[in-house]
This record gives sequence, C-alpha cells and structure tokens, in this order.
Amino acid sequence: MDNRAAQNTELGKFIPRPSRPPVVTSQGLVGWLRKSFFNGFLNTMLTVTVFTLLYLLIRPFIDWALVNAVWSASDRRQCLAINSDGACWAAVIHWFNNLIYGRYPNELQWRVNLGLSFGLLWILPLNLKKVTSKLQIGATGVILYPILASYIFLGGERSNIHYLLACTGLAYLLIVYIDTLLLYLGSKKSSQVIEPLLEPFLGKKADQVGFFLLLGGLVVLIAIVLQGLELEHVPTGSWGGLFITLIISGFSIVMALPIGIFLALGRRSTMPVLKWFSIATIELVRSVPMITVLFMSVTMMPLFFPNTMDLNKLAQVIIAVCIFSGAYMAETVRGGLQTISRGQFDAAKSIGLGYWHTMFLIILPQALRTMIPNIVTSFISLFKDTTLVSIIGLFDIMLMARNISIDKKWFGLHSEPLVAISFLFFIFCYGMSQYSQNLEKKLNKNR
Amino acid sequence: MMTDMDKPENKSTQSPAIEVTGLNKWFDDFHVLKDISITVEEKEIIVICGPSGSGKSTFIRCINHLEKYQEGKISIFGQSLENGKSAANIIRNNVGMLFQNFNLFPHLNILKNCTLGPIWLRNMPELEAVDQSMALLEKVGIAHLADKFPGQISGGQQQRVAIARSLAMNPKIMLLDEPTSALDPEMIMEVMEVMIDLAKSGMTMMCVTHEMQFAQEVADRVIFMSEGEIVEMGSPDQVLKNPKWDRTSQFLEHILSHKT
Repeated sequence: MDNRAAQNTELGKFIPRPSRPPVVTSQGLVGWLRKSFFNGFLNTMLTVTVFTLLYLLIRPFIDWALVNAVWSASDRRQCLAINSDGACWAAVIHWFNNLIYGRYPNELQWRVNLGLSFGLLWILPLNLKKVTSKLQIGATGVILYPILASYIFLGGERSNIHYLLACTGLAYLLIVYIDTLLLYLGSKKSSQVIEPLLEPFLGKKADQVGFFLLLGGLVVLIAIVLQGLELEHVPTGSWGGLFITLIISGFSIVMALPIGIFLALGRRSTMPVLKWFSIATIELVRSVPMITVLFMSVTMMPLFFPNTMDLNKLAQVIIAVCIFSGAYMAETVRGGLQTISRGQFDAAKSIGLGYWHTMFLIILPQALRTMIPNIVTSFISLFKDTTLVSIIGLFDIMLMARNISIDKKWFGLHSEPLVAISFLFFIFCYGMSQYSQNLEKKLNKNR
Repeated sequence: MMTDMDKPENKSTQSPAIEVTGLNKWFDDFHVLKDISITVEEKEIIVICGPSGSGKSTFIRCINHLEKYQEGKISIFGQSLENGKSAANIIRNNVGMLFQNFNLFPHLNILKNCTLGPIWLRNMPELEAVDQSMALLEKVGIAHLADKFPGQISGGQQQRVAIARSLAMNPKIMLLDEPTSALDPEMIMEVMEVMIDLAKSGMTMMCVTHEMQFAQEVADRVIFMSEGEIVEMGSPDQVLKNPKWDRTSQFLEHILSHKT
C-alpha cells in the first residue's frame, strides 16, 4: 500500500494489484481420506461402524444374487438342485419377454420395439443443441406420435384417417431428420431448398407453403408405399409388461403438465366459475387414493358414456391417471407461480403484454425452471404409481412379475422377479433424476 | 401498426398528455391518494418527490393502470382509462414505465428483453426488431452486452436496459418510479445521463425521484407530495428554493443534508 501511495500533495495514480492464481488447498488422496473419514476419534468410529454394517448387509446379498446364483435351469426344482442358497435368475430370464411385452404375441413384438423406437427418435432432436424448432417438434410429437404408435401397436383394420395421420407422423419425423442432417451439414432446411421454386407464384408465404407441400407429398408417398402392409390386430387386452407401464406413465407424464398448468391458472383466476371448477377438481382428486380413482374409471366412467360406445379399459385408465397426475401437478405449478415476484407482472403489463402473453412468455418459463425438481419428483412417483393398475387387471410389469410365482414351473418364486423389476425401475427413475439435474444445470448457466 | 400510432398523435394537439381529476384511492381503510388532480402537457417533465408512504409511487402506478383506484378520472391524450378493456391498449401505445428494481425478465437475454414487446405486440419481423433494439441499446451505451443475461450485469446497466426495453415500444410518456434509488452513486450518474438525454429528446415524463440535480436540470414542474396529497407544485426554483409549507422545507433539508 505505502509504496504505491503518492508522498507529495499531488494525487497518486491508483493501479490495481495484479491478481494471483488461487491458493492450492487440496492435499491428495491420502489427505482427503484422512480429513473426511478419520479426523478424530468419533469420526473414525463412525466410519468403521458404518462400513462394517454395510459389509454385513451387502455381502450376503452379493452371495445370493451373484456368487451362488443360478442362471440357467428349466424349472424351480432344478434351480434348487443346483444351488439352493442362490437366486434363481433362470425364472426371470425365462419370463423376460413377458416382463417386457406382457402377452403381446411373440412374433409381433418387433412392432412394440418399432413403435417405441419412433418415440425415442422423436425425443432425440429435442436434445440436440443446434436444432431450433424444438417447440414445434415437441408439440407435434405430443399430437402425432400417439396416433402413429397406436397404429403400429394395434394393427388390424383401422380407419383411413388413422392411416393417413400415422403416415403424417412418419413423414414429419422424416422431415425433422432430413432438416437436422442438413443443419449439421451447414445447409438450408429442406423447405427452404424448394422455396425458390415456389417464390414466383406465392411470394412471401413460400416458406410455410413449401413446408406443407413437402409434408403432403411425403405423406402421399409413404401412404402409397405402405399400402399393401397389413398388421395383425393385437387388442389392448394382450398388451402388458413394461410396455404398458411405459404407455400409461408416458401419457400421464406428457399430459400432467398441461392439465396442471390449466388447473393452476384456473385456481388463480378471477373468474369464479373457472376458479371453483379448478379448486373442486384439485381438492377432490387429491383427497382420494389413486386406487379408488382407478376403480371409478373402470366401473363408473362407462355410466357417463352412451352404451353404444365401446370403451377400452386401457383408455379409461389412462384418462384417470392423467387427471390424477394433473391435479397433483396443479399444486406444484401453483407453488412455482408463487415464487415469481409481483415486479415481473408489473413489468410485463407496463410493456403492454396481456394475460396470456404474460403467462406464457414471462411467468411460466421462470416458474417452471424453479419447479423442475418437484416436477421430476412427481414424474418419478407417477412412473412407480402406475404399478397400481395391476389391481384392476391390466397386465403391467408388476402383475407379470407376480405371475411368475404362480407359474407351475416356478411356483413360489417371489423374490427374484421383484428384485429384477426393482432394478429395472431403478434404471428408469435414476435416469429421469439425472436428466433433470442436467436440465437444471443447463438452465441455470445464465443466472 | 402505424395507424395505431397516428391516432393519439392527432389528438395530442388538443388534449394534454396526462389529465388526472379527483383521483382517490384506498388500500382497505387507508386513504392513500386524496383528491389528486393534475394536467401534464406533452413534452413536459414532472418530478415528484416526498417522504415514503406519501403515495407518490401509487399515484404514478395508477396512471399506468398497475393499481386500481376507486374514484377519479385519468385520461391519456384525451382517451379515458375508465372504459375497461381499451385501457390496456391506450397504455400500450403511449406509456412506458421504469421501476426501482428494474424488473428485467431474468430468463431472457438483454436483446430479447427488448425485442419481446415489438415482436409479440406489434408483430414486428424479428430482424427489424433486433435492429431497432440494438440501436436503442447503442443509445443507452450497452450494445456490447446484448447477449448477456440480466443477472450478469450491474444495476446501472440493468436500469439502462429497462430504459431501452421501454423505448422499444415507442412510448410518448415515460413514468419513472424511483429509477435510481436502488443504485450506488457511480451507477446513479450513468443512469441519470440517459434519463437527462431522454428528457431533452421531447419525451413527456413523470419521475418519482429524490435526485434534486435531475429536478434542477430538466424538470418543468416539481410536485411535493405528503400524506396522499399534492402539497406544492411549481417550477423547480419555486418549490425547491422557496417552498410555501414547512413540511416541504423540512423534507428538503433532510435530503439535502443526506446528499452532502
């Protein structure tokens, strides 16, 4: 300080000190171990106790699940004969197809794989950095994908409209991938490539019209090419396993947020009818166990529809789960909305934004960001809650797992299937949790 | 869009920019604004000062329809705000506002904060909106920060973005609610310079502030409010140097001693 300050009456020129690199504080692996686990008597005791307990618990499990496990056998008797102390994974392996696809016919299971792959293909571009039309892809996916997937899963005689819409789904997906490819090659979008051809006739609208012309052309092309294809009908009653779990939870996860946002905004609304409707729905659905909602959906919903309508148990269950999850989501969304300060509403109003603009451009994007952990928690519990549908007789993965124990060959085998599906559930749920944490990190980068 | 903008311009030759008559407002039992009446001509600069709780913020928030009021009449360029739905349109086309806490949209970058209004409310093509906003950001001296987010820049810079964001909607009237009171002295100066430029560019302004330098330099009239009333109104010299009431001189003594 002193030598930098001026000695005479004239003011000295202030020059900031140069910055130093940060002091190194890490002390290597051994240092870290000592500091974290063995600093002092108490901590050492704690470490030793916990690790001993862990060893005592995990060791027998590993012995059972891996060391003494039987991986191939034709029935339970043989399993026990080989090693009675180990897990009989042979049963799970034997039933694996049923755990995944339920009673979907073996030779047709490729259709399930195909349909689910289209779903993954639809999600993939949403995670690519360069793709700009994510909202369009997502929204179209919500509308067109179920139509395409149901066409593939169901098969049989379907209406022409269903066929054409399924083809539209395929065509749109194809355009998305062509555009993404062109994007990464540094070229224009496909609709922009044909734009100059249309420009003389249409002028400014050539871009949009070009896109729809391209889509329409592809739809017709695909519809003609696939004309002869006949898919054998598989009724929803035969769907099951992880497949049906994914369908129900996928639907409810996608629908929960829009329903939740609608109900939450309704609850905050100043219009009394809308407000009371929202409050009634939320409170009613939230204060009833999910099982009763499921039972009501299969027993009572038919009463509200004309007799002639052929209601499908799966559809009823999906509707019930969507409403149930929407009501829960509504409260999560309402909580998120409350974190937004009044200043944001004032600012939006002062530049002239109306209610819907304010909500969808300013408030919800901020609120949803703070809600991500809660939303994902809801999604995870929803995914697990769908196992309840086994109670009303849908052959989901839970029911398939329990069926193993009543199979004559594997009679009485309970633990192995449960451990196996626990493992499957863990993979899915942990994946969701990790994904949400990545999303949060990505969104928080700019804050 | 142009036709929208032209309408008030034609009227403005006859009608004052802001006309408030007999404004009364209560928060529950508390009488916040008592019979406020004022006429502000186009291009006039009004500075409002007064102790906290005197109702000055509430008053200018009423003009922007951010607060409801129980009695009275407010007109912007001769168009009354009491006719329900049209109020939003009148304000959108004429009035911009700055806040004490800037209230930028934290999830959008600086440029998008500015282009949002023109794109969604005026249907301006994106490229045109970007050009316009960049020009405005240039004018307030922060074009180089266009792709930063509000959380990454200083308070003074944020308030200047807020000014650019308001100007992007082409307002003829600006309401400023203590725009510099959340800033430190160096930042106050940078924002003040922009505000003075704005005042000299022919904007009609109503500014709640305790920056007496701003009042001296550009204000046409200074208003002193206390307990929900307009206590004094007149030229800066008249109100700041020769106040009629003891309450005014007490208050002025306080802020002057605080400043030096």
